[in-house]
Amino acid sequence: MSTVADVRAAPAAPSPPPAPPRRQRTLGRRMARYKWLFLMMLPGVVYFLLFQYWPMYGAQIAFKDYVPFLGIQGSEWVGLKHFTDFFSNPDFPRLLTNTLILAALGLLVAFPLTIVLALLLNELRLTILKRTVQTLVYIPHFLSWTVVVSLTGLLFAVGTGPLWTALNGIFGTSTDFLTDPDWFRPLILLQTIWKSTGWGTIIFLAALASVDQEQYEAAIIDGAGRWQRTWHITLPAIRPTIVVMLILQTGEILNTGFEQIYLMSNALNRSVADVFDTYVYFTGIEQGAYSYSTAVGLSKAIVGVILIFGTNWLAKRFNQQGIF
Amino acid sequence: MRTRRLAAPLALLATGSLVLSACSGGSGDDGGGEGGDLESLTFMSPYFSATPPEDDDAVGAALDELTGVDMDVQWVPNAEYGERTNVVLAGDDIPDVMVIQGKDQSFVSTAEAGGFWDLTEYLASGDYPNLVPENPEVQEAASVNGKVYGVYRARDVIRTCVIVRKDWLKNLGMEEPATTDDLMEVARAFTEDDPDGNGKDDTYGLIVPQWPGGIGSSSPYDSIETWYGAGNVWKDDGGELVPSFTTPEWRDAVEFEREIVENGYINPDYATMDPATWNEPFLNGKGGIIIDVQSRASQLAGLFKDEDPKTYDQKVALVDQLEGPNGKYTLPTEGYSGFLAVTKSGVKTEEQLKQVLEVLDTLNTAEGQNLITNGIEGDTYTVDDEGYLVVPEDQAEYQEQVAGSWAQLGMNVAGDKTYKAKPETKYDEELADERLELQAKGLETAVFNPAAPIVSETSMTQGAQLGLIMADARVQYLAGQIDDAGLDAAIQRWRESGGDAVIEEVNAKYEGR
Amino acid sequence: MASTTYQRFNTRAGRAFDVVNVLLLVAVGLLAVVPFVYVLAGSLATEYEITTRPFFLWPHEITTDSYASILSSDIFLRAFVTTVVVTFVGTLVQLGLTALMAYPLSKVDLPGRRTIMMLVVFAMVFSAGMIPMFLVVKQLGLLDTYWALFLPMAINPFSLIIIKNFFQQLPIELQESATIDGANELQVLRHVVLPLSKPVLATFALFYAVGIWNDYMSPLLYLSDTSKWTLQMILRQVTASAQMSAEDINADVPPPAQGIKFAVVIVATIPVLLAYPFLQKHFAKGMLIGSVKG
Repeated sequence: MSTVADVRAAPAAPSPPPAPPRRQRTLGRRMARYKWLFLMMLPGVVYFLLFQYWPMYGAQIAFKDYVPFLGIQGSEWVGLKHFTDFFSNPDFPRLLTNTLILAALGLLVAFPLTIVLALLLNELRLTILKRTVQTLVYIPHFLSWTVVVSLTGLLFAVGTGPLWTALNGIFGTSTDFLTDPDWFRPLILLQTIWKSTGWGTIIFLAALASVDQEQYEAAIIDGAGRWQRTWHITLPAIRPTIVVMLILQTGEILNTGFEQIYLMSNALNRSVADVFDTYVYFTGIEQGAYSYSTAVGLSKAIVGVILIFGTNWLAKRFNQQGIF
Repeated sequence: MRTRRLAAPLALLATGSLVLSACSGGSGDDGGGEGGDLESLTFMSPYFSATPPEDDDAVGAALDELTGVDMDVQWVPNAEYGERTNVVLAGDDIPDVMVIQGKDQSFVSTAEAGGFWDLTEYLASGDYPNLVPENPEVQEAASVNGKVYGVYRARDVIRTCVIVRKDWLKNLGMEEPATTDDLMEVARAFTEDDPDGNGKDDTYGLIVPQWPGGIGSSSPYDSIETWYGAGNVWKDDGGELVPSFTTPEWRDAVEFEREIVENGYINPDYATMDPATWNEPFLNGKGGIIIDVQSRASQLAGLFKDEDPKTYDQKVALVDQLEGPNGKYTLPTEGYSGFLAVTKSGVKTEEQLKQVLEVLDTLNTAEGQNLITNGIEGDTYTVDDEGYLVVPEDQAEYQEQVAGSWAQLGMNVAGDKTYKAKPETKYDEELADERLELQAKGLETAVFNPAAPIVSETSMTQGAQLGLIMADARVQYLAGQIDDAGLDAAIQRWRESGGDAVIEEVNAKYEGR
Repeated sequence: MASTTYQRFNTRAGRAFDVVNVLLLVAVGLLAVVPFVYVLAGSLATEYEITTRPFFLWPHEITTDSYASILSSDIFLRAFVTTVVVTFVGTLVQLGLTALMAYPLSKVDLPGRRTIMMLVVFAMVFSAGMIPMFLVVKQLGLLDTYWALFLPMAINPFSLIIIKNFFQQLPIELQESATIDGANELQVLRHVVLPLSKPVLATFALFYAVGIWNDYMSPLLYLSDTSKWTLQMILRQVTASAQMSAEDINADVPPPAQGIKFAVVIVATIPVLLAYPFLQKHFAKGMLIGSVKG
């Protein structure tokens, strides 16, 4: 806990935009420095080669009819068969639409809410209260989707659920929210917000904790209000984090997650609930059709990589840091 | 500058790949004995108990002694068994004997590629008296197009029944239902005539949960459709197999089901109710009819007993499957729950295979069955004068663990020779007797799935998705989301998504038999 | 946290905002915790109460039967200790490896940096799947070892990128002055960069720890020796049955009691929640000024 006096006494340490000053160095010194950096990076690189890239030779089963017993080499080569099966599937347009809508909702609603919650938490001054609320909002992250879904079932149960009664009272209807296709997406969004917003604030709070306090002091002396401080100091300070999180999220756009959607779907709302991840579960995992599910995974990954590189390029164009 | 930028990562990649090749070169097949006698035998099995048996388990030690080989079991939680199976099949140190839970793609393709021993002739030879099946048709059903790749784990063939609130019937002065029309009437009365006499309109008839499987997965709907004469998944129509849902009887049955739904004789959340909570409305006096396995009746009776041991025998009526408008058809189970298959990479020679079959034969003797189902006689259980199982209180938990783990290796193909616990009360005994009676009687009118042994290529890959199309359409029809034309459209979609290919493949193999 | 200064410049609007904010966040906190309390209440209630009362936050009759049936076995205790140790060691290894790799990557002038970052991003988006990973773990001889529980996912690409970006935002001057004083890069990382990054390190320590703690796939796939199993693997039997298949419904074995399911959730969650405040401490400590002074 630093006091005002501490702050004043501290040497000025402004954090400028991370443009490294290119000073003159001798080649020898630079090489010596790189040697250390490469050495430090070596374990990580070995890890990536061993545990991330070596298994990727297994991706070739997307082009084969893989039988575990015959092994990856021994299975029959079928070329693009699994890919054409996937893209020519009559359900494909529906799966794509459903997946994109759910992802868009997450990106446009849940993601900004996370930032808002982090900012609000940051404005709490009573440390004890701040810590307590922080701890409380993390709890939902630890409850499994199974628990969340069964609770949703309780709250929206036809005839008995408290939320069923309340909402139908307000709208003057008798909708069964759990089976009505129109309510599927709002419910999914609501669950996502409840479960992940609090946990999602962690990264932003870490970024906020690193914000230079002296800037606030200076702003207060200049008579800046709270809103102005947030707008001109806090947000710019965590902007790099926001941009990075946004870029990473776009790469995940086709991954809606399986468990939540699978548990929330039923015969009556399947038309809006079918997404790539549930489809892969039914065709791939449940039947042990690994080649097919790998082909779908590969297609999704290619889209993800394109999106990440695309948004990263965009971020750079707008003079943001980007991820690399 | 440019070259240096590239050179560094390349150098790193090179170092990395050196490490890689060094590692991949280091491994080798350390698989056990090639040929020769088996000294140890590795099993892989799911378990249902809270925890798996420990390495020093008493039953494990007794089994080693009984079978004469060192038996080692890899235990896998039941819920994750399928995933573990697929991964294990991809490795090269596969267990010698694996419990296979069903004929899914990875099993069938492995079997057809020669990964499992074809046991057909060995089992038919009669060398293993305890592996000769009681019900040859079940062994046939468990085969892959007639080839037997495993010793099946026998289950009761007749299990479905109707469970009705006995006290409600009595309050209303009604008889137990015998026909589907009776079912409608009882469901109506349970909904409209205040069966619990509390003066409130707070009850319904049938309780049905959200069903996770496709058509023909023993759901309450499947039962009603079989009672109507729609066959069992498939129906032999003049020598040709047709899917049950293309028959006119199936249409009549779903119309009957829709009437129940439209009239509100069913729980309102029938499309979403968690199956794990199926008992609750029955216990709480909200609903009064469940169509499910007979063991649920005993389960429910037990729960009522916890609540009030004096009146519990007045609550649950176990009723036979119902007669439909076209006659009496009984829905059987597949009669097996997976099988024990012998892997070729673990068991290399025919000599060893015969040894393994000897071990499986021993597991099926009365001694073997009781050891893996009940525990150690005289130590963890005893048998009373009437031949009933007696488990001391301090061994109850252990007995439960044995039944939930070791018993999963039990096959009982030549009959169940295990000791059973004595029913605690007269009512429990009645229930048990009635179950036996229904099982015997049901066999006479059982409608077996004629395509059970047939494995079709297309349904291997598309089956789950195909099954979902029709199961969803059924519930949508019940909810009034689609009409008859909608059902036709769903059948059309099913055909186009691979259903036609399935029909063709199944019939090609059916004729060839 | 310089709160005295804030108060000095407080306005009426500011106070109003404070009140609303406190109320709002308390409401959010309650909303987040109520379901947890429901699960806690359920874990302490009798099975009869759970099946007959739809929703309650305090059981009429408190019983610890559900806990007794989980906690009674030796295997549980062993699994618990295993999990705590593996989580602790695994988190240290994972965080260490990640920071070690993130630091060089935060140097924008490092040759080859872009290539490696692209490889990292691709690895984040594409995972090869269960079976190839199993074969690699097997080839490396890690089957049935505790290493298999954290080494295969030692560096999470997502965490690596975020940590790298945090390092990148740190003022370069401090690092440079350390270099001029003769420190090598490893010393700069240890004595300058890491102390400045405590909030983010604490955050990812929590991420990694939760990842290892909740993981059941790794023990399932890589450990056939039951004596090495972790807590989640033991608890899986109870928690997984929520996704019932048709065969499960028809099985003679009734599903685990609701109370036990609830108790399992509590048992698996509480230790992580208890560990949290210890990490939270560092969230505030990492502030720039304090670090520069210290």
